[in-house]
Amino acid sequence: MVKFPSDEWINVFKEKVNKNKKYLEVAKNWEGDFLFIISPDNFLKKEIKFYLDLWHGKCRDAYIVKDDKKAAFTFKGSYSNWKKVINKELDPIRGLIRGMFILIGDSKIILDQTKAAQELVNIASTIPVDFED
Amino acid sequence: MGITIDCHFWNPNLYLEDSLDFKYDDIGNDITLRKPIFTTDILEKIIQSIKKSRNDYLLKTDIAHILDLIGKITDMWMNPNYKGRKIVRKVLPTVTGFSVEMLESWGFNHFFSALKKENLPLFGKLDPNNYQEYTPLSDGLVKAYGKSNIIHTNFEPEVIGHICAGNILGIAAFEMVLDKLLDAATWIKVPTEEPVFGALYARSIEEIDPELAYSTAILPFESSSKNIQDFLFSKSDIIRATGGETAKKSLTDLSNKYNIPIAGHWHKFSFIAISKEYMNEKAKDIAELASIDVSIWDQQGCFSPQEIYVEEGGDISPLEFAKILADEMENTSKALPKGLKSGKIQVLDGYHQYFKKEIIGEPVKLFPSQNHKWLVIYDGNTKNVEPSPLFRVIRVKPVKDVMDIPNLIKPLGQFLQTIGVAIPNERLIVFADAMGQVGATNIRTISTMTLQKPWEPWDGRFPLHELFELDGIRWVSINTKDIDEGIKKALKRKRDIVNYNLQRK
Repeated sequence: MVKFPSDEWINVFKEKVNKNKKYLEVAKNWEGDFLFIISPDNFLKKEIKFYLDLWHGKCRDAYIVKDDKKAAFTFKGSYSNWKKVINKELDPIRGLIRGMFILIGDSKIILDQTKAAQELVNIASTIPVDFED
Repeated sequence: MGITIDCHFWNPNLYLEDSLDFKYDDIGNDITLRKPIFTTDILEKIIQSIKKSRNDYLLKTDIAHILDLIGKITDMWMNPNYKGRKIVRKVLPTVTGFSVEMLESWGFNHFFSALKKENLPLFGKLDPNNYQEYTPLSDGLVKAYGKSNIIHTNFEPEVIGHICAGNILGIAAFEMVLDKLLDAATWIKVPTEEPVFGALYARSIEEIDPELAYSTAILPFESSSKNIQDFLFSKSDIIRATGGETAKKSLTDLSNKYNIPIAGHWHKFSFIAISKEYMNEKAKDIAELASIDVSIWDQQGCFSPQEIYVEEGGDISPLEFAKILADEMENTSKALPKGLKSGKIQVLDGYHQYFKKEIIGEPVKLFPSQNHKWLVIYDGNTKNVEPSPLFRVIRVKPVKDVMDIPNLIKPLGQFLQTIGVAIPNERLIVFADAMGQVGATNIRTISTMTLQKPWEPWDGRFPLHELFELDGIRWVSINTKDIDEGIKKALKRKRDIVNYNLQRK
């Protein structure tokens, strides 16, 4: 079991993304890095930011951000909503449209990449996770 | 041979028609509108049906697929030979009183371009902390005013109800599309003044994807049908309503009675502001554009201008501008004529009111059309803000400085909505900021006042956001990042439409 959110989780996630052939195919045109921000709520005390450099179906870099970091896209939501995404109870695009996540960056670009977003969720859901709560 | 149009829509597999009585309205020109007489038993079945389609299909369907379907439906309607569009062309001029030229060029071509996948507002909400100054969003700018005060949140509304006013053409289609993005079942009370298009649009969804269509019901009932309205409110998670002050009172009372949140859009006041930098060789271009805002939908929309403020100090005085505008009103009137609702009485009313003022020596000058199709009034009295009689009656008023306008308009506060502008970039943000402070919500390039972009807030709230959350933040938008670029595009659009329609005559 891997604790979420943690350094270990993001490292396993990066490894799995880079081994995933389906993601390689559906994200072959993707160029852009992400900040995934997990906002505190009743179950998480402190904000955590993951940085992911996604490029043409591969993850070139992924780590927990300790200081200020800029990225082409920022996807921010509460810990509880992230948990729903990782458990495949919430499609991240639906979460974005319903305001459960906030995106900083061009939403049109993200919407053209729904299959890639879904595959990232599929990959995340294969990691056995030990949640904070 | 006559035509009968059904103004209702729901899943036909419910076979409810045999259990219903219908009302037939002969509206002239061999057109009859068929409307069901609802009972709460029937409505219960319809509500259960749209909920079932939502749960069994909509919730399980990929959002990308829904977006593709919306795109296909829009493409269908953009085709002038599409059967639904042919029906509309034949029927809506009689139903609405607008000319076919207006419906075709401004209604269809522009309205449906907004419903393209790439233009839909897919950010559910914005963080107001990132928008404390006018900040780029899509092809414009937005700023958040006030403090967050969330009074309602439901990220997963099951049933959304819509009560549509008759002065916003096509609004039912926009409502259907937004609800589907939120995976919500939809009921829509279409307006008595235009009960046709909603059902036609729902049927066009049915052609492409019946299951998606069956999560929507189009219900043409009278506002006076209290038991029907009560029943539908009690079955909904949120209501979005548009209407005047009477509707505001009755629907707000109803929402309180059933403790249902309501996103209301009520009576508004909109106007045009033109600065001296455009009162030179550009004045004719600006008059062309202003004539569009005044003529479109015969000023029936809340976003239509009721006054034009022109800043003094340019080469062309506000009085001279009124004369130039009158010439352009005539040209535009030929290309986008009035329909069956001529509004001649309203135009004459405006004429007589101001004729008396002109006679007794007030600083008033009338520029009438020969056939009372429109009226431009130069009114040197700037202190009074008066509603226009509408139907293309517009007052031009001088101001020493466009920055005087916020104080003049301030008493209207929450009634303020759209401002059509020709103010250079370097002065626009300051002006927009001052207008945002006093209550205006939409700053748009002159001639685009009636063209709501899907990403723009509407009366200070984003159309998608307010369906799942009601917040105290008031969002104000400017629909372009560069006013001169906006004016250039607007002139091309205006001339394309006007020249095309004039050539056809």
